[in-house]
Amino acid sequence: MKRTQHIDLDLMRKVANGKSSLLRPLALGLTVVTFSSCSNNTKEEAIVAGSPAECVAKTSMIYAECEAAYKQAEKEAERTGPKYQNKYECESEFGNGHCSQSQISGYFMPMMTGFLVGNMLSSDHSRKNSMYNPVYRYKHPYSEKEDEIMTADGTTIGSPGQRSYYVQKSALQPKPTVSKTIPRGRFKAGSLNAKPAGATQTVSRGGFGSTASSKSSWGFGRFGGWGG
Amino acid sequence: MFRVPIRERSDWEDRAVEFGFKFHSMYGERYWDESAYYQFTLQQIEEDIEEPTEEIHQMCLAVVETVINNDQLLRRFRIPEAQWNFIRNSWLNGDPSLYSRIDFAYNGSGHAKLYENNADTPTSAYETGFWQWLWLKDNVDAGILPLHADQFNSLQEKLVNRFKDLQVLTPERALHFSCCKDSEEDRGTVQYLEDCASAAGINTYFVYTEDIGRDIEGNFSDMDDRVISWMFKLYPWEFMFEEEFGHLLGTNNIRWIEPPWKSILSNKAILPVLWKMFPHHPNLLPAYFEDELHMATDCTSLVKKPLFSREGANISIIQNHSEVASSPGPYGSEGYIYQATHMLPQFGENHTLVGSWLVNDEAAGISIREDSSPITQDMSRYLPHIIL
Repeated sequence: MKRTQHIDLDLMRKVANGKSSLLRPLALGLTVVTFSSCSNNTKEEAIVAGSPAECVAKTSMIYAECEAAYKQAEKEAERTGPKYQNKYECESEFGNGHCSQSQISGYFMPMMTGFLVGNMLSSDHSRKNSMYNPVYRYKHPYSEKEDEIMTADGTTIGSPGQRSYYVQKSALQPKPTVSKTIPRGRFKAGSLNAKPAGATQTVSRGGFGSTASSKSSWGFGRFGGWGG
Repeated sequence: MFRVPIRERSDWEDRAVEFGFKFHSMYGERYWDESAYYQFTLQQIEEDIEEPTEEIHQMCLAVVETVINNDQLLRRFRIPEAQWNFIRNSWLNGDPSLYSRIDFAYNGSGHAKLYENNADTPTSAYETGFWQWLWLKDNVDAGILPLHADQFNSLQEKLVNRFKDLQVLTPERALHFSCCKDSEEDRGTVQYLEDCASAAGINTYFVYTEDIGRDIEGNFSDMDDRVISWMFKLYPWEFMFEEEFGHLLGTNNIRWIEPPWKSILSNKAILPVLWKMFPHHPNLLPAYFEDELHMATDCTSLVKKPLFSREGANISIIQNHSEVASSPGPYGSEGYIYQATHMLPQFGENHTLVGSWLVNDEAAGISIREDSSPITQDMSRYLPHIIL
């Protein structure tokens, strides 16, 4: 055979196909409910539980529910957590002894400090579809985020040991899958509004591209581009 | 090699939306054309395309080795002297290449003839590696094409594998992708390659060519002020050499895809040098520099190509010293080369060009372009192909 036998179409898909786009109205409906019930306040109270036992103590959930939540958070950690090529890079951001190698991906990942539980005083019924995201304690020395609690995408939610946290709704929603590794010191690049690590001071831009714009006046390259 | 009409997939435009293929039509004209396909035999593909592609690539590498060590040739290639060390170092360091596309005139029999080597900024990678593959799969799944219909196309798979190699060769760096603004086609091509790199586990970023910045030390930076240390650029080296930031090339610690030595291969001056080093090679056409035209006594017709021309711009066909056909464009001030005329084969009204892809040094598939003019240009239609 002269062609590739299999290409994973799910990975190539940029827009949901006919079937799964049926989900869209439902998601939109939920957004409306969120806005109407919370008015301007988009933050939500949540607790960080370090173990199923702590979860039982801090919420109205029973042990079996807390254990299931813990397992779900572990699963999410595998899927959405920061991944590193080696232990050293991981430990430089999460501290010695706080990283381990994933049995699934083979990458080095920080161990979760705990998991987030929102709606912790609500009834079982409304918790049915809850998400339990892992959180991590960031340990990069001299970083302004040192010793902060973060979600898997690097968003900080506060310092450790608080009775509860006021978090953005997004902190309680599923995080994007992370399948590639993070270069050393880059994890905090994922945190909101932060300059990437190792950012420089750009003194000028526009030093490339002038030939393209001068030749474009011929009508070339404008849509066809500069490849060949 | 036949041109076979076929019914278009009824949902092809939905498929294009689904898989993010946005530049199937440009200037209000169809670029992707699935109203027909080209059919090859396995022997045609393997003996006439695949083998010569890899051989020509090796010949081209030999040309680089020669030109790198010859100041006179570097001048003939119109490469600015200030960049010679930058280019030489990339060759001596063995900076790895990702891909190239070699364009052939081929009609199904005899030797495919080399038109040019798009070694620096080849496009149509997405259409080739994925979109025409999907076209075949859909038509086979629908029972319209037979189950054993095949395609010469392992481009995507080889690109992902090559990116894995490149990551090993370029450890601890994130890869910035870039192209110019205002081109849906270039942006789509770069997005595809970025997806291939991500699939290989590489950390990627994107920055438009025009947005690249510099810091006080001469490092290049993206819009978030990240220092760029590894960069894919879909922008010709010969432009970058002459532009404002060109003097910083080689002074900052960046690995490039394609590497700087590719600027020698994408230059049309490679054609006369190939002919000199491998005279009468069956896949080559006689080619000459302007001051060597007295050697072209056997050629009654010549094609005049600017050294830096892309997408068929500023090409003219000269018979008995007068121009019989030409294409417009912005190139030519850098000088020309002359290549013996060997017209593209015609299938009906269409003039057909075969693009043969290489990932590093391995042949990886083909793309077919058609034009109503004998000089294919950037609006030439893209048609799929099969092997049967």
